[in-house]
Amino acid sequence: MRAASPAPEVAPPPAAPRRKARWLPALSLVVGGVFLFPVAYLLWEAIFLGSEFWATLSSGDTLRPLANSLLIASTTAAACAVLGTSLAWLVARSTMPGRAMWRLLLPLPLVIPSFVGATAILVAFGPGGLVPFFPRLDGFWGAFVVLTMLSYPYVYLPVLARLRATPASLEEASRLLGVGTWRTQIGIVLPQLRSAIAAGTLLVFLYGLSDFGAVSLMRFDTITRAIFSSRLFDRTASLTLGLVLALLALGVAAVDRAVPRRPHHGAIGRTPARYSLGTGSILAVGLATTTVGLALVAPIGVFVAWVVRGSSTVGVGYSGLGDDLGFLLSPLVNSAVAAVVAAAVAAIVVLPVAFATVRRRRVAAGFASTVVTSTFALPGLVVALAIVFWAVRAPAPMAFLYQSFPLLILAYVLHFGAQTLQASETAIGAVPARYDEAARMLGAGGGKRFLTVDLPLMAPGLLAGAGLVLLSTLKELPATLLLAPIGFDTLATRIWAAAEDGFFAEVGITSLVLILLSGALTWSFVLRPELER
Amino acid sequence: MRNTLIALALALAALTGACSGSDDVLTVYSGRSENLIQPLLDDYTATTGVDVDVRFGDSADLALLIAEEGDRSPADVFISQSPGAIGFLAERGRLQAIDDAVLDLVPAEFHNADGLWVGLSGRVRVLVYNTDLVDAAELPDSVFDLTAAEFRSRVGLAPTNGSFQDFVTAMREINGDDTTLAWLEAMAANDAQTYANNTAIVQAVGRGEVPYGLVNHYYNLRALAEDAGAASANHFFPDGDIGALLIATAAGIVDTADDSGLAREFIEFLLSKPAQRFFADETFEYPLAAGVPPSGDLPPLSSLDVATYDFDRLGGGLERTTELIDASGLTGS
Repeated sequence: MRAASPAPEVAPPPAAPRRKARWLPALSLVVGGVFLFPVAYLLWEAIFLGSEFWATLSSGDTLRPLANSLLIASTTAAACAVLGTSLAWLVARSTMPGRAMWRLLLPLPLVIPSFVGATAILVAFGPGGLVPFFPRLDGFWGAFVVLTMLSYPYVYLPVLARLRATPASLEEASRLLGVGTWRTQIGIVLPQLRSAIAAGTLLVFLYGLSDFGAVSLMRFDTITRAIFSSRLFDRTASLTLGLVLALLALGVAAVDRAVPRRPHHGAIGRTPARYSLGTGSILAVGLATTTVGLALVAPIGVFVAWVVRGSSTVGVGYSGLGDDLGFLLSPLVNSAVAAVVAAAVAAIVVLPVAFATVRRRRVAAGFASTVVTSTFALPGLVVALAIVFWAVRAPAPMAFLYQSFPLLILAYVLHFGAQTLQASETAIGAVPARYDEAARMLGAGGGKRFLTVDLPLMAPGLLAGAGLVLLSTLKELPATLLLAPIGFDTLATRIWAAAEDGFFAEVGITSLVLILLSGALTWSFVLRPELER
Repeated sequence: MRNTLIALALALAALTGACSGSDDVLTVYSGRSENLIQPLLDDYTATTGVDVDVRFGDSADLALLIAEEGDRSPADVFISQSPGAIGFLAERGRLQAIDDAVLDLVPAEFHNADGLWVGLSGRVRVLVYNTDLVDAAELPDSVFDLTAAEFRSRVGLAPTNGSFQDFVTAMREINGDDTTLAWLEAMAANDAQTYANNTAIVQAVGRGEVPYGLVNHYYNLRALAEDAGAASANHFFPDGDIGALLIATAAGIVDTADDSGLAREFIEFLLSKPAQRFFADETFEYPLAAGVPPSGDLPPLSSLDVATYDFDRLGGGLERTTELIDASGLTGS
């Protein structure tokens, strides 16, 4: 890795003093403070209820599921790092056949709620399933496969964005010096992807800690099971375990922050050439086909089978092909609006934190960044209840905000802000300091530099981050159920309700509509603007 | 991009402007999902002119929500799919007493002794079994038989699910804590297979992954409605065995209700003949009021064990139940 560093372009910043914007660290501190809501709620309640923190933490009933949580989170993170990076490289840099199709399909599994993905995999494979000769997936391996298949886009999207922003010059120089294709990719390109891969992998790890749907259906016992099963009848234990998870996530995010990320060799320039894979094309297509097959085609196959099979209870729920689909219109619109607004707000809100962290390296910014990142590891129910807790205690003039659309968006942003933050930090780190310096010397002010220099260079990364929030919001459940304006149902809440009571034809049709919607939104807001640049 | 922003602004305006309506509005938090109650709510609005705003969600989560909301709760009525979740609110003094005229619409065992909640419809605990793997002649007579060696590794249950917890709580009330813990431990020792919820068990039984499962009767009838050829059937434990316990969906009036008279009328409507018929004919459940019989495929209510499971009065309540389940080793395997 180290061999790649001696590039003349990353000379130390010039001696000319930078005019430092003081408001930036202050603003990021405010954002970080808002993201502290969930942890503060857990702390407050745990103390108020007389939590025996150390006793709960050191009990075998906590440590066993906690070890399982760490195991599933770290193994899926490692698998997603390899899978997401490979797929992104193949799509961006190789001559693999069908790239346009893969580009559109590969981000989509992220939209499938994990409990639906797990149910579909259980129904699809194994004896008695739709594909009976395939081994049954269950326990650790079942959870591992489902979580890997649904979360590799956390790595894939940021790395794909990063690959589009790496200049051709270094690679060409390397090739001209006689370095082989693969050594160039590993020695020159991979180091430039490092922070994007690290950011995505961290997100998968945190998501793995927070998941309840996939692990519970696959019968793999983790800390979230303990949090959920005690949530009503042993509030103290449930909140204490939530606090354990929050502190663990804060620790992991802080350690991640402490590892220095070297600046990148970002530049504006031609996109590098694609590499011909030769016979390797077969392997590449095989990898993409297997991934899309398991993560998208298998669930879609199950959904279609449920819809075709239909239901004999006409009048109660959706009963199959030919039934009116009008009932999905309002959830469709609600899902689309909520997801797009949440993605845009999240991208904007965390941008100051990302800037302050990467450019200023202040302690305050580091703190804010750590808090924003860690919130992603909390189960959605904890985040939702925390917002309820603070909202009902808010001063009277703000009372009307409770169960309003803006508060719902706040919940999404708090829960998923980590996704845009990680992507933004990577994107900002990729903007070469010398461009900013040049613009300053030409007399451009801070705002103008941001709009004309930074923003265009960061755009692919920002869009990737917003895309992650978009897809996560589309499948979000607990906050939508508890905090949405009354009557505001989304495709995800409809899928959940139908699955709760065994209306599988309805789960199927609604999931298919959700996947189509996510495809349309990802295309219009993330992929197309990116390609048009 | 500008067009997108304009569209978003318009959508937002539409969302915020959509909160007008008629004067009479009842706010219901419903742990019962839309498919299983919305047609009734539409009827109610059509006949009374009262709009019903509903927040659907998991019963336990909605109970937690009302608890967190405190005196700011918008909820007038809470409908819980399980006695456990509504008992949680009753225990915290968050429900108002319902007057006797409404309570008396159901037999005494289906309402809380202090009148804090009333049952609407019921689901019965059953042993669901795979018809290809199990000979119907050899089905057990009691849930206590499932600890025998012949059932080793062959029974699925959902120890973290509300309805299993309700069942264990009722067993504690009737058989005592010691017997209950012994049964739970014997099930764990007999390698009972744990699943996430009722639906997951019925599916696993249907595909032959596990031959038996302890669930509510509703879920297999629902599975058969979606797949008439599914190889699963319900076995009702006979002779009033605790394994055939009836678990009620219950409704209560939240202490912060704006208009408890309106809330009371609404609950009365849910106990009326047409509403009870809906539960019998459309949702495969046991009606609890108005003398409406269950659908013909179900054994009559009189053949079932109908316990007075006022969980909120039981020593230690549901917290003790989850402690016993955890102590037995059924969770966290």
